Amino acid sequence: MKHLTEEQLIATFYGEEADGGPSPDAMAAHLGACRECGARYAELQQDLERVRPEPVPTRAADYGDQVWQRLSPTLTPHKRPQPRWHRWFQFRVLLITAACAALTALAFVGGRFWERHFTKPPQIAGGATPQSTQRVVLVVLTDHLDRTERLLVALNHADASDAVENSQLQSEARELLASNRLYRTTASEVGDPALSRTLDRVEGVLAEVANNPNLTSADLARLRDQMNTEGILFEIRVLLSRTPESTTGLNRPKGASI
Amino acid sequence: MPETDHAVVRAVLAGDKEAYGALVRVHSAAVFRVAFRIAGNEADAEEIVQDTFLRGYQRLAGFEFRSGFGTWIYRIAVNCALNRVQQTDPEAAYRPGEEDDPEQKLVQVAATGADPERLLLSQEISSARAIAVKRLTATERTAFILRHMEDRSTTEIAEILGIAPNAAKQAVFRAVQKLRRELAPLRGNA
Repeated sequence: MKHLTEEQLIATFYGEEADGGPSPDAMAAHLGACRECGARYAELQQDLERVRPEPVPTRAADYGDQVWQRLSPTLTPHKRPQPRWHRWFQFRVLLITAACAALTALAFVGGRFWERHFTKPPQIAGGATPQSTQRVVLVVLTDHLDRTERLLVALNHADASDAVENSQLQSEARELLASNRLYRTTASEVGDPALSRTLDRVEGVLAEVANNPNLTSADLARLRDQMNTEGILFEIRVLLSRTPESTTGLNRPKGASI
Repeated sequence: MPETDHAVVRAVLAGDKEAYGALVRVHSAAVFRVAFRIAGNEADAEEIVQDTFLRGYQRLAGFEFRSGFGTWIYRIAVNCALNRVQQTDPEAAYRPGEEDDPEQKLVQVAATGADPERLLLSQEISSARAIAVKRLTATERTAFILRHMEDRSTTEIAEILGIAPNAAKQAVFRAVQKLRRELAPLRGNA
């Protein structure tokens, strides 16, 4: 057997097997038989004996407690880990909430975009279509013209001695005067000169009747002559004849195209 | 014991901070011992113990329950000790002491007699040994201390240092070879 290498001697000292070398028992047997290797091993033992462990200072029996007392205030408790299902549940809730928020935002933005680009602004407040709005206006105006027609007819046949009848005429004239002024202004703004002119003449008659406290037979005759109530009555009937039913159809405005 | 330690670790991770005190009480002596071996003085060893258990607590969530808590905290202690030794001035840590300077850190061999010549020789040997140990690399030094002084097996050393068992064995061999070369001049004086 060859002499032992230094590594093998060190392995023997620590009771270990050297890599690729003989077994510890074989090395021990060689050391007993080989004087040279025995001397080298004794020298190794002497060297390593010099590097013997320092005695470790003894600690008190409660050393662990002392360490813990110093350490404890600096520690914060670990957070209890949440179960997997709880984390998954939280994630799903978060996901659904985010999806709802995104959908809401998308709907809002989409609505704004749609309104801005694809919707015409309403012409009349209330959201009705122009045709339906015009129908409502025409119905109201026709009613006004009907009432005005009846008043003018009553005026043409009025008896100055009947105070009650005259009072009713004046009351009706006052009511019609305010609405007539509104319709006339609107008709002139929308550019309907025929209607505007007729309503202007009606307004003059209504103002005379409404503002005269004591209507005499002379007053009535003067009104009929000066204001030509027969002519006004004719114009009103012409206007009333412009109803959809009596002319071209349902879409044709009745009276005026306000 | 490892099973008990594992149960305590689980309790700590569940929020029971006080349970960690049980682990500190059980393992603080072993941690102090290895800290003293590597650092070479009590003051540093005490700091290393505190630092070790603090780091252990902070990293406890990473404990994988494959090894014992003792081995795990021991490994942290070795790393803490190595860091501290590397931070401190090695010349100051291992310089031969002056008799009239009590503040200096000494690495001394216990004297067996009052003979001044023997005391001087002991100090000389101690100084040479300290210098020799200082010249080892960190891995060699730690591997040698764990093998020679802590009587740890090669497998344990490898696990503590995070290296292969063969590398741990080679580190011990290299450390012994270097120390023998450094201490060769003192052979005749022993």
